[in-house]
Parts: sequence; structure tokens; C-alpha cells
Amino acid sequence: MADDSSSTKVDADLIRTLAALLDETGLGEIEYSEGDWHVRVAAPQATTTVSAAPTITAAALAAAPAAETAADHPGAVRSPMVGVAYTASDPDSPSFVKVGDTVAEGDTLLLIEAMKVFNPITAPKAGTVTRVLVANGDPVEYGEPLVIVE
Amino acid sequence: MFEKVLIANRGEIAVRILRACHEMGIQTVAVHSTADAEAMHVRLAGESVCIGPPSVRDSYLNMCAILSAATISNADAIHPGYGFLSENAEFAAMVEEHGFTFIGPSSDHIKLMGDKIAAKQAALEVGLPCVPGSAGGVPNLEAACVSAKEIGYPVLVKAASGGGGRGMKQAWDEAELRKVFDQARGEALSAFGDDTVYMEKYLDKPRHIEVQVMADMHGNVIHLGERDCSLQRRHQKVLEEAPSPALNAEQRANIGEVVRSSIAKLGYRSAGTVEFLYENGEFFFIEMNTRLQVEHPVTEAITGLDLVREMIRIAAGRPLSITQDELRIEGHAIECRINAEDPQTFAPCPGKIGDYHAPGGLGVRVDSAMYSGYSVPPYYDSLIAKLIVHGANRNECLLRLKRSLDEYVIDGIKTTIPLHRRIVLEPQFIDGEYDIHWLEKLLAEDEPS
Repeated sequence: MADDSSSTKVDADLIRTLAALLDETGLGEIEYSEGDWHVRVAAPQATTTVSAAPTITAAALAAAPAAETAADHPGAVRSPMVGVAYTASDPDSPSFVKVGDTVAEGDTLLLIEAMKVFNPITAPKAGTVTRVLVANGDPVEYGEPLVIVE
Repeated sequence: MFEKVLIANRGEIAVRILRACHEMGIQTVAVHSTADAEAMHVRLAGESVCIGPPSVRDSYLNMCAILSAATISNADAIHPGYGFLSENAEFAAMVEEHGFTFIGPSSDHIKLMGDKIAAKQAALEVGLPCVPGSAGGVPNLEAACVSAKEIGYPVLVKAASGGGGRGMKQAWDEAELRKVFDQARGEALSAFGDDTVYMEKYLDKPRHIEVQVMADMHGNVIHLGERDCSLQRRHQKVLEEAPSPALNAEQRANIGEVVRSSIAKLGYRSAGTVEFLYENGEFFFIEMNTRLQVEHPVTEAITGLDLVREMIRIAAGRPLSITQDELRIEGHAIECRINAEDPQTFAPCPGKIGDYHAPGGLGVRVDSAMYSGYSVPPYYDSLIAKLIVHGANRNECLLRLKRSLDEYVIDGIKTTIPLHRRIVLEPQFIDGEYDIHWLEKLLAEDEPS
């Protein structure tokens, strides 16, 4: 979602206008969209949400080429599950690995948390870490390349 | 209302559910296996998460992966669709335990209806008509004759330990019962090591008729009329229609009200279907499906109600958007299930779709995740499209269905469209004169004897 910083800028005047309309009309909810963004103003919880519209492929298309080259890499270590990636055992500890580190087969590269369980992801072979493709706390999909070990 | 719904399914039903979400202004998350990375439900969803390899056990049935996907995508509710985890009580409970809303009934109701013996017991308690039978085993011929008289002929003598159609004998009168009773016990003993037999009413030419219900969390329950799903092959529905050609308005209102009040007594919520066998004006409970059904669009066509939208509203705590008095059943609808199968041998036929042209026009709906260039993967159900046609009456509906089937082009793979083209020309089907055995008899005529 790096491409929509401008589109998610909150238009305070617009929301004030919509909120006033809500009060005036007694409606429960107003949704207004323009271009690739939409605003929903709801009563009585008075929650306001601004979100990028599901632009379906825009983000996916942009991300696809980079991910694919990494995924095709013979040294790519892929995620065996959906979850959240952690590059260190806790926030105060140093990362398990960083670019340039030499690892032995079986060394922990990172953790994937799924269902409150931390699963260690280990190096399938000895080598040098040439790329770390995820940041601490990133959500990862099944099969997503995490680290490249050459 | 929910901000974001995760759809724990694939194919046409995932597309069906995300359409309802998008119309309601709800964002969607598709989950998919590696085999479905190019699937339509992934392409249409706001976000998608790959949850596993092609095998369903590791992807669409992988509860942990689906819940993790809901967590990382910040979804607030999960719709299970049909099949996969839709009638898994454990999954429904896990979804709620993790703080998401399960768009469906409570896990207790799923569990109750998933246990066939407990379900029949519950059905009897809330007043649904069940197949009459002896209370337990019948010890001897005299007891069997008494029991048969109570049940009414024809009867079925069934092995208590039997299953799969074995150890069953039918008797059309007492003389025949006297002949087959000891035979049935002997066969039961040799086949299952237990000669206990019980009696049940034998249904010779039943129809499969089911009643759709919808219930909210505020005690409101409506029925949406019935669907006739008698056209089956190997217990798989092939074509469904609503209303049933076998019922008149009075019968429809009667069974609808029986089901509506029974479901209200159960305290059920969300969409549900009560399935019956129907013969000679009588209904006999088979089971209750605690989920959205494949054939729900025929009910949508005749009632004008979006069942998925209604399920989502109910899960969010909203009341039903319509009352029983407001509900109108208008016209007639038929759904054809189009499978990627050889229309003669029914062998699955996955592969790449070439030219694709879906029929259109007034009263024609196609629910499908297919597109030109799409490859039907070999790992999943062969249902690739549902053609649903609505007309002012059954005759108009049949003519429109024939026209639509003739228009439908799916190149590259074999489909069951030719079977449907044949069915709509069969005089008995046109007359609505069919039962659950009719289609298999028709297909058996083709086989060389």
C-alpha cells in the first residue's frame, strides 16, 4: 500500500459535512466515494473509516515482479505457513540473522507465529544470507520467500 | 456492520459471497491454495492470502492457516461458504474463540445436526415429520407384523448393524413380510454378526424436497418456500427447481409453517435447509444442513432476497430484513449444476478453458469463477458453474433454460452442459413427473445391456 499515501489523506471538511448530514437526516450510515478511495461515516457509534478502495490488482501487480524473482531464486527459504514473521526471539534481542551472516544447516533464521505458536524457520543448508525479505512483524503467506541463503 | 470479511472458500461460492460483501461496502479477504493463485475469487477480492499447498487438507481445510490469515488481514468475520469447513462445529467454535464472527449458525447447532441420530431425535422433538418406524429392534415375526400394521405398508426390514444399503428387505404386504422376515434376520446375522432388525416405512418413489429457512438472533424465523432437488445421480444433486412441481400452494404453506415453527423452537440462527423425502403427500425428515446451499440461487430468484447478504446482516446482529407476511414467491426458477465432467461417463475433466461465453438476457444468472484461459485445477470439486434461470411460470422458465443452455460455450474441457440440454427435452421432466431415481434410470437406458 505504498502507492496510496495521497489518496488516504483525510479530508476533514468532507467528513464534517458528512457527519452534519448524518445528524440532519437521522441516517445510520453514509458512504461516499471518489476515485479510488471511500469514506464511511456511521452513527451512533460515530466511527469513521477511511480506507483505500479494494483496487484489486494495483498493489499485487506492483509487488509481483520483485516477489517472483525472489521466489524463483534457488536459495529462497519459503514460509511453510501463514502467520507473522519475527526476525528476533524478542524485541530486545538481536536478529537471528542479517545479510552477510554465514549459517549452518539447521540454524534458526526467523520465527513464524501462527495461532500463538512460534515456529522456528531453519536454514535448509549451510551458506551465506544474501537477502532478508521480511521485516520484524510482517505478515507472511504460505510459500512466501523469507530469506535467501546462497 | 463488519469492516472486512474473510471468505474461507474458493470457486463460484467465494465469488458469490464477495459480491454480496462488496455491495454492502464490506472489504474482502480471499484465501487460496498455491493452485488457486490465478483464481477469480483471488482476483476479485480486496486482499488475498495464500494459505497452503493444493491439497485441501493443508489449505481450505487448514483451520489454523485460515485463522492466521484472518489475523494478519485484520478481518472481523469469516464466511465459510458450503463444503470445506462450513459444517465443522470445531471450526465455528474456534473462529468465535479467536474473536472473529462466524457467519453462520452456532457451533452447537452445527454439532447437533451433524450427528444423524441426535438430529432425528431433535427433529422429532420440535415437530418435524420423520420416517415412521419401530421404536427399536423387533424380536420376532409377530412383533414385526404388528409394527408393520402401525407403520403402514410397504415396509423395510433393516439390519440394526447394517449400512450402505445392505441387509434391507422390502415387503409390500403381510404375506411378503412373513416370507422375508427370517431371511432378513439371517442375512443380518451372516453379514454383520447381529440378527437384530428394525422396521421402517419404505418409500418407493420419493422426491427430494427441502425447505429454506432464515433466522435472526432476535427470534424471527422465516421460511422461503421449498426447492425440489429430486434430479440426482449417486446422491449428488444435478438440477434443482423452485417451487416444486409436486406441491400446491396449500401444501407449500403447510410444510413451510411446520418447518418455520420447528426451527424457531430450536433457537437456530442464520441460513438453514431442512431436507425431506416426499411421497404421496407426506414429508419425511432426512437431515438439516446448517449452512448456505449450492442451490440457494433458485430461492433468491423466486423471492428476490439475497441470502448471503441476509446471513451477513444476521451475523452482525441485525434483524431479518423481511417478515413472513412480506415475503412473496414469484415465478419459477431452475438451476443447472455444470460440472467439469464427461457428460456420459462423468469422469472428471480438469484442464484449460479456451473460448468462454456465458448466456445472458432477462432472468438468466450464471454463478461461476470461470474465465477464458482459466485452468480448472484437478484438486477440487468439479462444479464450475451454476446456470440459474427465472421465468414468470414453469413453462417460460423451461423455454428460457433451453435457450440459455444452447447459448453457453465452454471450450477446452468437457462439461455436463450436454446432459442438461438432454434433460430439458425429456417429456417426463417437462411434465414435472420425476422422483429421486428418475435420472439414474434415464442414464441406465444408455448403457449397453
